[in-house]
Amino acid sequence: MKGWMGKIAVVDLSSGNITENEIDSEIREKYLGGRGLGVHMMFNKVGPEVAPLSAKNLLIFATGPLTGTKAPTSSRISLSTKSPLTGTIFDSNAGGEWGIQLKQAGYDALIIKGKASSPVFIDINEKEIQIKDAKRLWGGETFESIKLLKKLKRNKVSIACIGPAGENLVKFASIMVDEHGTFGRGGVGAVMGSKNLKAICVSGKKKVEIADSEQLDFVIYETKKWIKANPLTFVGLPEFGTPVLVNLVNRMGIFPVKNYQTSYIKEVGNISGEKIKEKIFVRRAACPTCPIGCRRITQTKNEKGKGPEFETVYSLGAMCCIFDLEVVAEANYLCNRLGLDTISTGVTIACTMELKERGIVDAGISFGEKDKIKEIIKNIAYRQGIGDDLAEGSRLFALKYKAEDYAMQVKGLEFPAYDPRGMKGMGLAYATSNRGACHLRAYMVGPEILGIPKLINRFTALGKAGLLIYIQNLNAALDTLIFCRFGGFAISDDYYARLVSAVTGWQIEPYNLQIIGERIWNLERLYNLREGFSRKDDLLPSRMLKEPLTQGPSKGETVSLNKMLDEYYLCRGWNKEGIPGGRKLKSLGLNSGKEEKDV
Amino acid sequence: MFKAFQKIGRELFLQGLNNSHSGNLSIRQGDRIFITRRGSMLANLAEEDIIETGIEKNDSNITLASTEIIVHRAIYQSTSALAIVHCHPPYAIALSLIENDIIPIDSEGCYLFRKVPVLKSEYTIGSREVAKGASKLLKKYRLIMIKGHGCIAIGQLLEEAYQWASSLEHSSKIIYITRTMKPDFVHEKIKDYHKW
Repeated sequence: MKGWMGKIAVVDLSSGNITENEIDSEIREKYLGGRGLGVHMMFNKVGPEVAPLSAKNLLIFATGPLTGTKAPTSSRISLSTKSPLTGTIFDSNAGGEWGIQLKQAGYDALIIKGKASSPVFIDINEKEIQIKDAKRLWGGETFESIKLLKKLKRNKVSIACIGPAGENLVKFASIMVDEHGTFGRGGVGAVMGSKNLKAICVSGKKKVEIADSEQLDFVIYETKKWIKANPLTFVGLPEFGTPVLVNLVNRMGIFPVKNYQTSYIKEVGNISGEKIKEKIFVRRAACPTCPIGCRRITQTKNEKGKGPEFETVYSLGAMCCIFDLEVVAEANYLCNRLGLDTISTGVTIACTMELKERGIVDAGISFGEKDKIKEIIKNIAYRQGIGDDLAEGSRLFALKYKAEDYAMQVKGLEFPAYDPRGMKGMGLAYATSNRGACHLRAYMVGPEILGIPKLINRFTALGKAGLLIYIQNLNAALDTLIFCRFGGFAISDDYYARLVSAVTGWQIEPYNLQIIGERIWNLERLYNLREGFSRKDDLLPSRMLKEPLTQGPSKGETVSLNKMLDEYYLCRGWNKEGIPGGRKLKSLGLNSGKEEKDV
Repeated sequence: MFKAFQKIGRELFLQGLNNSHSGNLSIRQGDRIFITRRGSMLANLAEEDIIETGIEKNDSNITLASTEIIVHRAIYQSTSALAIVHCHPPYAIALSLIENDIIPIDSEGCYLFRKVPVLKSEYTIGSREVAKGASKLLKKYRLIMIKGHGCIAIGQLLEEAYQWASSLEHSSKIIYITRTMKPDFVHEKIKDYHKW
């Protein structure tokens, strides 16, 4: 069983019971780890009767076979749960030491169920797992709490921790990991808060066994050659961080501004990667095993922190018409301290700004009012005043005022930073994503903007479904191993397959990864169908369908979603309602959606 | 889609990777395959030269499809490919007659392939044996040579598969030129690359 530790820890916060299980070998072969293992367990254990913020929901932290090895960009861990923001199956993954430490403590996965009667944290090491009192930490900000916990521990420890937003059940609360990592999206921090769980500390020194170390070293050597040869992975991201894309995407006319009212504006240059480097950059940082190093440590006149990332520059900056870099950076620091997803926070605030502009409701902040941004972020995290409504996310907030058209979201998850009107494949990716509007389920920016693997016409609607499905399946598989998306800018699926083969000793080929990814994608679809989602939810906001872009290189464009959806379902082997047929499920070993075998 | 077929078909001919009527191209869309017509001139494709049929199931269009459809189907059935380019690059074909694997010696070829396996088969055109062997090898490699016949390259897009075919021919020319200058030349990584 090379590549795995062989154990899962189950912590029941209601009873205080802690048990250890093994993963069935058949399940491991079908789902590998991470997101795959997560959706399999969620499908079996968390049905439609379980509310996301109830004690019966699970938090499933799962590593992959490459976690804890030297494979480049493999130091991520996946977290699966039912999202309070979307109501769908949801997985979020974070980079850094946490997943490595969990594995080195001897566990492939950690399942948390139940609810503690008072605030607690979980302490995991190679010898024991303990549930400890966290009353003293409750109410504290993320980094402050992480610092306190690190002082308590003697050895090297990695900590995942929620802030006030998670404690107050803000539906887009995040979980911070040490100083840099984040389980960002979908309100996973609120699920942790609903269990009265403030933090999880992990440390360990066990080694991950490798089937063929010599071959692994050779494949890593070849992989790094590609990463180092690619200007994006070895110059762009290291030098400018993820905001390297800001100017590029704006030049294409697809960088959303003012709640997607436009997607092309010259002021964007003030909050670009180049400007961050010039004005606030302090130093680079990288996840373990990562040769890219996209993380930034930055400093404004008042504060020092991490980021802002590309998506944050968009959400807290351009979407809110705030083009003051120091303000955007400090709003980002604040979200991290309070434990808020910066994308959903910014997009929800942008929604309320537009509602004020249209005279629908006045939340006390207009587009461009940079002096008020920190105050409204705090109000959201502490659910004060109108912040209590905003803490439900843009969809429910807008619905309350019968203005859903102005919420830029799919299935409740707020949009990332690419306007689908100027890249139609990304529109289809948002609409069909199993966790709502997400750019990482299928990063169509690769073929439509960056030319990875080759440049395709971004304005064409039809003929892209096959490629989109390939990318969705591949990314689902990479989320089981678990790899950072950025490695994929430089290397192709055969490298990933060779890395897994060398670590596990299994003969994994790119085709196997596609099948595993397709199995995961279909099981996630079945999960959502069981929750009541259907074709009607594979939708984009009406702005994307009816309001053409008014300026820039994508001027005049909208998305013709229905035709694209028909083609997509056909290529997936689903019926016109988006339901996988028995033959398709059987071919994936899904037993017509009735998963029969427990872990 | 048609424009991509036209562009790649023409490029293959202009680069000397095909003669007037050799080679074939296909793409996959779900359980459908779009493949060039049997006997079509890849350098001058018209819309009616692109034939749509099933990957698993036959229909009447099978009568129009390329002879190699059996190979294309087998590859789509067992790999993650979305596009296939089959062509007849002369230097690579010559090398395939004398080598078990083609190991590039130029930097680009080493980066892209490390090793291109050569498939041996008694029947090499429209052959079940090639379909079986090629689909097995292409699970692991992005392109292969059929001994004395031509190369099969796969990708997510036609252009990607075309790049592999074009790069292979370029690497094969460099091997040929280097051997004419120094017949016993051996690449320093050859042992590692044979294991790839």
